[in-house]
Amino acid sequence: MNRQQKIAVTALIVSLLGLFLGITVILMRRFIPDFPKTTVAFGSLILAFGVIVFISRFKKDKGAVTFDERDKPIEKNAHLAGFGAVYLLVILVSYLPIGIAPDAKIPTKWFPFLLPVAVLCQCFAQSLATLIQYGRGGKDGEK
Amino acid sequence: MAKSELRNQVRRLRFENGELTQQQLADKVGVTRQTIIAIEAGKYAPSLPLAFKIARTFQVPIENVFQYEGKDS
Repeated sequence: MNRQQKIAVTALIVSLLGLFLGITVILMRRFIPDFPKTTVAFGSLILAFGVIVFISRFKKDKGAVTFDERDKPIEKNAHLAGFGAVYLLVILVSYLPIGIAPDAKIPTKWFPFLLPVAVLCQCFAQSLATLIQYGRGGKDGEK
Repeated sequence: MAKSELRNQVRRLRFENGELTQQQLADKVGVTRQTIIAIEAGKYAPSLPLAFKIARTFQVPIENVFQYEGKDS
C-alpha cells in the first residue's frame, strides 16, 4: 500500500465516521432539548485537526520515486470523481426539496452545513475512486 | 484497472539480470515499485518511454520485453 492509498483509506474511514456522527448529532439535537452545540462543534473541529495531523505524519514511500506516470491519471480521475460527487450533491440539494415539498420553507441557518457535507462527500468519492483504481495487491503483491 | 493485452517478460528478465529486485528496477527506470508490480501482473500497460527504459535497462529489444496479444485490426 503506497502513501496515496493509506491517505485514501484514512479519508474513507473518517468521512464515513463523520457521516455517522453527523446523523447522530442531528438526531440528538432533535430529541435532547439542551444539547451542547458549542461543545460538539469544537469537538468536531479538534477531531478534524487531529485527522489532518495524523494524515500528514504518513511517511513517504521508500525508493527514489514516489509518484509516477501510473499515479498521475489515478489522481486525476479521483479528483474528477470527487468533483462529480459534489456536483451531484448540489443538484440533489437544489432540486430534491422542490420534489419532496414544493411549498415548504428551508431555514437559512441550514445552508452553512452544506459546506462540511460537500467536503465529506468529496473526501468519500475521491478516496473510493483512488482505492478502486489502485485495486488489490494481486498474487505477486508486495514482494 | 482492466487486465491489458500486453504480455511481458519483466519478471523473467529481472531474475536473468542478477536477480534485480522490483525496487532496484523501479529506481533505474524512474517509477514506483507498485508500478513495476502492476506491469509484471499485466494490470498496467506502461507508456512507450517507460517500456523503452525497461528494455534498455535489460539491454534487449522492446519486443523481447513486451508482446502484444490483442486482435489485429
